[in-house]
Amino acid sequence: MALQANSTQTYRGNVLVEAPALPRRPRASLGLTREARLAYAILAPTLLVIVFLVAYPFVAAIYLSLQSKMVGAPGRFVGLANYAELFRDEVFLRTAWNSVVYTVVAVLLKFVIGLAMALVLDQERPFNNLFRTLLFVPWAVPVVIVALNWRWIYDDLSGFLNNFLITFHLTSNIISWLSDPHLAMGCVVAVVVWAGTPFYAMTFLAGLQAIAKELYEAAEIDGASIVQQFFYITVPRLKTIFITTVMLSTIWTATNLTFVLILTRGGPANRTEIFPHLAYEIALGARRLGMGAAVSLVFFPVLVIFITLLTRRMLREREE
Amino acid sequence: MGGSVARTRRILKWTGNILLVVMLVWTLVPFYWMLATSLKKDKEIYGFEATLIPRQPTLDAYRRIFVQTPFLKYLRNSLLIAVGTTVASLVLGSLGAYALARLKFPGRGIIARGLIFTYLVPQSLLFIPLFAVMSFLTLIDTREGLFLAYLGITLPFCTWLLLGYFRSVPLELEEAALVDGCSRLATLVRIILPMSLPALAVVAFFSFTQAWNEFIYANVLVNSVDVRTITTGLTLFIVEDVFFWGPMMAASVMATIPPVLVYLAFQRWVVKGLTLGAVKG
Repeated sequence: MALQANSTQTYRGNVLVEAPALPRRPRASLGLTREARLAYAILAPTLLVIVFLVAYPFVAAIYLSLQSKMVGAPGRFVGLANYAELFRDEVFLRTAWNSVVYTVVAVLLKFVIGLAMALVLDQERPFNNLFRTLLFVPWAVPVVIVALNWRWIYDDLSGFLNNFLITFHLTSNIISWLSDPHLAMGCVVAVVVWAGTPFYAMTFLAGLQAIAKELYEAAEIDGASIVQQFFYITVPRLKTIFITTVMLSTIWTATNLTFVLILTRGGPANRTEIFPHLAYEIALGARRLGMGAAVSLVFFPVLVIFITLLTRRMLREREE
Repeated sequence: MGGSVARTRRILKWTGNILLVVMLVWTLVPFYWMLATSLKKDKEIYGFEATLIPRQPTLDAYRRIFVQTPFLKYLRNSLLIAVGTTVASLVLGSLGAYALARLKFPGRGIIARGLIFTYLVPQSLLFIPLFAVMSFLTLIDTREGLFLAYLGITLPFCTWLLLGYFRSVPLELEEAALVDGCSRLATLVRIILPMSLPALAVVAFFSFTQAWNEFIYANVLVNSVDVRTITTGLTLFIVEDVFFWGPMMAASVMATIPPVLVYLAFQRWVVKGLTLGAVKG
């Protein structure tokens, strides 16, 4: 970017007129144009935030994972020893399996229920705006509150579920929702789905409403059934939204530790342990920062693939 | 032929209505339970006399959280931090997005790409080293530290969202203003921002709710009661594995109101804005 090439343009556009008396000569600091200097000046806070609060911690996490470091003590470089220890650890392998099941099932259910919700809300009926508002409310509620509230719903002795089932004689025994090894994961996933479905429904509904109604009318005249209309008109038109939503949600679902932290702390017997929570427990419970960082990074390669693909998608969609 | 189409229509309509009722129940029952619990006396909450519907509704739990706990302090902290994050995201996001949308400078493309990438890097990966960064800056246990950490969450997305919106504002208006002697920043304030109100609404909504609802950073970066926000304050109703559900649900109701109000006020733009930022718009 040559200085001369830009000087006229900068003059026309920039401070010149605002500064009343003497037109200042543009200083050629670092060979940057006035426009570029202004750009860096107003971008600086954002860049500082990104560098110090996201980029540096990210690199630090990688470095940390190569150390044996306790909270408050200097670290010792151990190379890949943390990772090696992890892959021999049974809890870790259990966690890996849980994380996959948890993420895949939760995302799948959110997708299906979210799509159903969007289709239902796209139908014509009175008070639809009210219904939409109500169905999307969980999305605005703090995740901790969602998790605490559901923990209370699942409570063995006095929670809503057991209370309800016993009052209506649907069961005579108390069910230990969150401490039964066979039920715990399902219960956690249900909460994740409850909280996460509105986001899907919202983006899907926006997509549905953007489809021209004439397309359906034309298809109907041609004798296409409702099912055919769905698969040949609706699905292709929502494809981009489907992919982007699922990818975003996969990243958020896989990395959310609040639900498990509040609901089960990974129990019973590690049945609901997932990566982000294991990392939290090791880093802050056992105070092994290096190992904690290693755990949170182990599943990062998979996320990087998602993040990179998604970044590209979002940039491309912008360009179109 | 015509009859069968009408029948399919009818079936679809009623399936839709039934599904709607099921979804409403599924969505609203947890809210009901939260509210009902907050209005009960302890003996209706626990044990054999536990009820599904409060028999003698009382505001006692609310009185208790205000009188006996530092709940007001948590509310105040949450409000300060959330408002601060919102204002900073609006101002810094607009400036940054303007630079990326309208000014030519080396590194523009990389920075735009970096924004979206950083937005997608999850908090659960960052909280461990962020703890170290904040310790180094002696910002542990401060509102400023939490505010900065939240900017790390909101700013990349807000800048990215505004960037997309600013680009869609027609250039001609600005060029005319520039020729008339407006400075760059004046065109941002007088022309672009007024035309970007929907996007600004989304930024305000997003940053407020993110900061208000955040739990992990608040949990890791803050310990002292004076700095705690509402989300971590709630966990103080758990003492040694004993949950004080009445006051906790009362506090939950109170803490849910602000983000839900913000959602109700902004929902018109939010649905649109979400698709702007996350999905093609």
